[in-house]
Parts: sequence; C-alpha cells; structure tokens
Amino acid sequence: MLSPYRVLDLTTERGLLCGQVLGDLGADVIKIEPPGGSPARNVGPFYKDEPDPNRSLFWWAYNRNKRSVTLDIEQQDAARAILRRLIEGAHFLIESHDPGYMASLGLSYDDVAAINPGIIYVSITPFGQTGPKAGWADSDLIVWAAGGPLALTGDSDRPPVRVSVPQAYAHASAEAAVAALIAHHERARSRRGQHIDVSAQASVDQATLSNALSAPLGVPDVRRSSGGSKYGPILVRGVYPASDGYVAISFFFGTALGPMTRRLMQHVYDEGFCDESIRDKDYIAYVELLLSGKEPESEYARVRDALEAWTRSKTKAELLDAALERGLLIAPIAQVSESFDSEQLAAREYWQPLDHPELSMTVPYPGAFAKFSETPLRYRLRPPLAGEHNRALYIDELGMTEEEVFDLQANGAI
Amino acid sequence: MANGLPLSDVKVLDLAWVMAGPVATRVLNDYGATVVRVESATRIDTARTLVPYISNAPGPENSIRFQNINAGKLGVTLDMSKDQARDVVRDLVRWADVVVESFSPKVMRSWSLEYESLRAIKPDIIMLSTCLMGQTGPMSRFAGFGSLAAAISGFYDLTGWPDRPPAGPFGAYTDTIAPRFTAIALLAALEYRRRTGRGQYIDQAQGESALHFLTPALLDYATNGRTQSRRGNEDEAMAPHGVYPAAGDDRWVAIAVRNDDDWRALCDVMGRGELSDDERYATTEARRARREELDAIVSSWTREHEESEIETALQSRGVPSSAVQNSSAIYADPQLAHRGQFVQVEHALHGATTIEGSHFHLSRTPARVERPAPLLGEHNQYVLEEVLGYAPERIAELVAAGALE
Repeated sequence: MLSPYRVLDLTTERGLLCGQVLGDLGADVIKIEPPGGSPARNVGPFYKDEPDPNRSLFWWAYNRNKRSVTLDIEQQDAARAILRRLIEGAHFLIESHDPGYMASLGLSYDDVAAINPGIIYVSITPFGQTGPKAGWADSDLIVWAAGGPLALTGDSDRPPVRVSVPQAYAHASAEAAVAALIAHHERARSRRGQHIDVSAQASVDQATLSNALSAPLGVPDVRRSSGGSKYGPILVRGVYPASDGYVAISFFFGTALGPMTRRLMQHVYDEGFCDESIRDKDYIAYVELLLSGKEPESEYARVRDALEAWTRSKTKAELLDAALERGLLIAPIAQVSESFDSEQLAAREYWQPLDHPELSMTVPYPGAFAKFSETPLRYRLRPPLAGEHNRALYIDELGMTEEEVFDLQANGAI
Repeated sequence: MANGLPLSDVKVLDLAWVMAGPVATRVLNDYGATVVRVESATRIDTARTLVPYISNAPGPENSIRFQNINAGKLGVTLDMSKDQARDVVRDLVRWADVVVESFSPKVMRSWSLEYESLRAIKPDIIMLSTCLMGQTGPMSRFAGFGSLAAAISGFYDLTGWPDRPPAGPFGAYTDTIAPRFTAIALLAALEYRRRTGRGQYIDQAQGESALHFLTPALLDYATNGRTQSRRGNEDEAMAPHGVYPAAGDDRWVAIAVRNDDDWRALCDVMGRGELSDDERYATTEARRARREELDAIVSSWTREHEESEIETALQSRGVPSSAVQNSSAIYADPQLAHRGQFVQVEHALHGATTIEGSHFHLSRTPARVERPAPLLGEHNQYVLEEVLGYAPERIAELVAAGALE
C-alpha cells in the first residue's frame, strides 16, 4: 500500500515501531544508525542471552521490513551531504531524540523542510516538543506514571504496577504512524509536508480508557484493586482463580451487560455454586442499588464468592468451553507461552517466519496486524544488521565509489 | 465537507460497538472525516451504559467514556432488525468511503451486509471488521471486551506481582491498542484506493493487533523458550526502578535509575552522598542484585516528601521521575494543559463539558475538536435529509415503520 514511499527512520530505542508499521505496509524504510549501531541493539532480552548487537530481541521486535545504513548524523561535510541526498528522496522522516537535539545538528523540521518541503517529519518524545516538562528525563515507567495508566493498575495494598513488557513507546509509536498517515492523506492534495509532534505521555492517556476525565467531570478517581478497579464504592473485579491458573471475567451491570451477568449466575446456580437469592439479583439495576446502599457491599461480596467457588472448581479450558458454549464473558489468563501456542493463531496462520541466515535459524514473528484482502502485509526483510545496506544505498543508489565509501568509513562517518 | 482538515474528503460509516471501533473513528473525525455512527435505541450501545457517569448520574447520555470516544460524530438510530433500516444502511454504504463494523460474521451475513454484498452496492468500498479473535478460526465466535483479549493474549499474566495473582492492566486494555491499528489500516487502504481505485476487506482481530505490543516477550519464548511473567516494577537494566510511597495517603512517585550518573544524583538529592561511594551499589548489576535493600532506602526518603517535590528535585538533576498521576493530577498537569489535552465543548444536556483533544499535533493542519458526542438519534433528520437526500415522505415512512429506533 505504501510501496511508492520512502521513510528515513532516525529513531533511538523510542519510536521504532512507527517505521516498522510503515514498512509492513510496504514503504521502503531506511533505518539510519550511528556508526556503532543503534542503542536499541543493546536492549535485552538477547537470543541465547548473549548480549550482542545482532541478537537483541528488542531490536528484532521492532525493525522488521527495514533496511539499515550507518551514518553519523552529528558530522557535517561528507556525512551531511549523504543525509541531504537521502532527505531529498524521502517522503517521511521519523525521529525520537530529546527535543532540541535535531535542531542543534541543523536538522530541525524547518531545516529539513528547506531541503524537501513535502516531507512529513514525525517527532516522538516523552512529553512533546515544548512545554514545562519537554526537557524531562524519561523511561517507560515514568511515562506510564505521568500519563495516567500506572495509577489505575495493581493491588490496593502495594504500589501501582506497570506491564512488565514496556508499553509506553509502543503506544506512542503506533499513534505516530496514525498521525503520519493522516498528514500523508492531506499531502496528496496539498503537496505539502508538515511536522508531527507525538507526546508519549499524552499518547498513553488512551490506556486510562477516558478515566483521565474523572476529575473535570465530577467523579472520584478510580482506585486500583487486585485484578480490577474501584469506581467509588463499586468494585469491579476481573480476575478469578481456576483450578490450574486464572481467568478474566467481565462482570458488569446495566441494560447492555446485566443480562450477560444474569446468564453467568444462572449457570453458576445450575452447577450448584449459588442459591436462588444470588441468581435472582437485579443485575441490570445493580449499580444503582449499590450506589444507593439498597444493596449492601456484603451481598455483592457474597456474589463474588459464589462465582469464585465455581471458577475454582474448573480448569481454564473448561471455563473457556463454558464461555464459548453459553456466550459468557470469560477468558483464560494466558501465559506468553500459551498465547504463542494458541490454536486460534495457528488456524489463522498468524506467525510469520523470517530467516536469519547469519544465525542459521528461522524466527516466527507476530503476523500481520490485520488481514487485508487486496494487499496482504508481507514480511520481506528480517531486522537488518547494522549497516547491512550501506552498499545498496551508497554505491548502487547514490552512485558513490568504493573509495569514497572507504574514506567515509575511515572518518567514522559511516 | 470542505473544512480544510486533512481528512475532509473522507466519509466513514461507523457500525461498530463499544470501544475499539469508535476510538479509531474518533481520531478520523478529529482530523476532518465525516463519521456517521449508527446506533440502536432498542439495543443500546454498551458504551453508553459504562461507568463512570458524568457527575455520577447513570443514564444513556452520561457515560464519560461514550462521550469522549464519540465526540464530533453524527449519530443515527436504526433498528437493524427491520428491512427498511437495512436499506438506509445500504444507502449510507453508497455514500461512504469506509465502513467499520463489529457485529458477528453470522449477523452481518443474515442482514446481507457482509463484504460481498456491500461490494455489489459499491465496488470500491473499504470495509473493516473488528472483533476479538478475527473472522475465522475456532475462536472466531468468542465475543467480549478488550479485557478478555488482553487476558488471552498474555497482558494479564505480565502485569502484577510474582507472588500474587495477576493484577492485569487497567480495564479493556486491548481496546486501547487495536484502534491505533484500525486507523492505520483504514488510512493505508484509502491511500491504496487513491492510487488504484480498488477497495478491499480488512479482517482485524484485536488480539492479533495487540500482540505487537508484546513482541520482545513473544520472541523470548519463541527463540529462548523462556516464558516471561509479571515481575512488579522490576527492570532488567535499571535499579533502583520502581514506584515509591510519597507523603500522604496512597500517593506514589516513580523513579528510574538508568545508570551510575543517575544513581549518584539520586544519592545527592536524598542527602545520602555516602551511598554513591559505596561499592555494594557501584554498578547497575550490583544495584539490581540488592534492589530490595535499595528500595527500602529510597522509600524511607520518599515517604517524607510530597511526590511533586521529589519529581522536581530529581528531574532538575536529570533523573527520570514522575508522580504517579491520577485523574486529578492529570487534569492539573501543566504539560498536558500546554498541549491542550482537555477541551471544553457545549453539550445539549450537560452544558459546558470536557472531553479530550487530539493526543498528537499536526503543525499545519491541526485537529478540530469542537462538538460533543451525539445524543441517541440526534442527527437522524440531518443525515437522512442532507446526507442521503431523502424526501420528507420517505423519512415519515421510516418513522412509521419504527426503523429509526
């Protein structure tokens, strides 16, 4: 879908997913790495736990469908001349350096637009390009704290917890791809590029599911609770034990979801795990009953206990079967291994193998983010070695000579 | 609509429910697309029933989440069980560039609204179906919310304390990931259609999109056979790294020490300069090995201070730190205010109310966020008359048949 377009990917360890998504859609993505290789190559885990720039699974995760050249963007003269030529031929530039760094190199949006006015220049930063926190130091955890999702997650008697696989820059990077494609749509009419400012803090706000709006709209803050959350006096508990692990249950009330909760409790009753008084509660009006105090919390606790007694008596697979058979809102809590080995994903041929000839192995990658009938996504390139495509770009495309490339190497420019 | 916005030429028919689809079409709407959202007054959108409610008052026009994710759209009510209503949908398909839906495959076929039927009406239509597990496979009929997709994909097991049951990420977590890929898919398909004139069908499984946010852990299992699981706030490359108690009740501050410089600065700020010379903590590896001891030291300091003091003191020395911000703190955050995160709009029932602005900024063609979410059926007249050009008699017939409910 994006095969006519070229992307220059200048991102650090933040922002890599953005270029990969554009690459999956067919764009020619050139990852520009510093001569020593991208710092993202030092991020673990590593294949066979051997720290090596070509064995970083973090690097593998987010650099498929990209070509790599090495180039020192801090150098002027020869290196800068190459970069100028790459900018002239590019449609998108993505970067994730601290605000001000690109400008200090003479590579701000205005500098780049002077070379190529049509370019869409995407900046992904922790807090945005300007503002009182624009210069703040960050990490995944810090962004997750500042943006809102962290406060909502965790056991009530312990500190809030993050997702153990960093999420903040995945959100920011995917959002950056959305923004880039919106600007691209407009460019088809106007022929003009623009600067996109993505703030990871603002981006992860989406993971609060609009609960960031509680304060301005007169609602008490949502409180974290083990396997769920508390909305004022109402506990929403989503995690229940099975005999061999845990399941997630959507146990909600109201006109849309109350009937499903009723169906669930009917089944719990049929299986002998609750009495009629629990089965026959008004699950449609249950929120109102709890808010008004007509239904005491102790009764609601009795409902949850009955549900737990039932889930405890079954395996995750049995509970999933019951969910599929009866349309109940229950899902097994899968470990990464179970997720990887899922029959559903196998049936849909989700995993996409890519050969890593340098390691004599084939690696199954998470497959297309969606199935397109006309333009199925193709995984053309395994994550590149640093500078793997220097020759293809510098000699074959830009027409440099072997000697010129050798000199640049000697100067540490590439 | 020639509104000068990037997507001013894009027309979206939004048949999707609850969150995942509507969150994606909200972004398109912010940037100028005309989005007609079809609901039913007889089978109300689940999102309208979700807590929290504006001022804690239950009601179909009061769900904060619904209000936020549907802002700016045109709202039409149709009773899809009626033939006449489905004819209106077919006319909307003729009008639209893009159709997004989240019904079950069986239902769409029974209504003759599956892709083949839509393509017969409009050959270059782009249609996207979004559901938890995809349109095919043994689990295709598994319906539910993003919390269930998050559980079955691995996010729950990866969130919480190793000695406790999983805490899980907040709520319907994959509903916050999938919409990003929905918007990407639609924009890419529009680009392809612009160049080739061809539409297409897109089958999006929420779980499959979301797994791209777990790729490092999935590759760790696929290549090393290691099953990562939840580990609190521990980090494999940083220590101290965690969430520490601040002064007051349930107040917290996050601190991430990336390297030795950060460590020395933290010791200084804590007034514990002697620790930076202590060999037991000299390297990241050493600090990681003694992280529990260090967490106790850091906590004993953070407990004495407000989180705002701590983040300011550490950030002034370049150490990553932030208060753990709840809604009140986010609403007061000067950085988010600077970016216009919160926008006031005028709502027919609520008066001046607050929704979120665009999370990202385009320099030349910024988003326009000016209208609230539609009331149930608010734009029936406008859409039937202005968008579809129906005569008053036809509209009266639809009303009489109960098709607009």
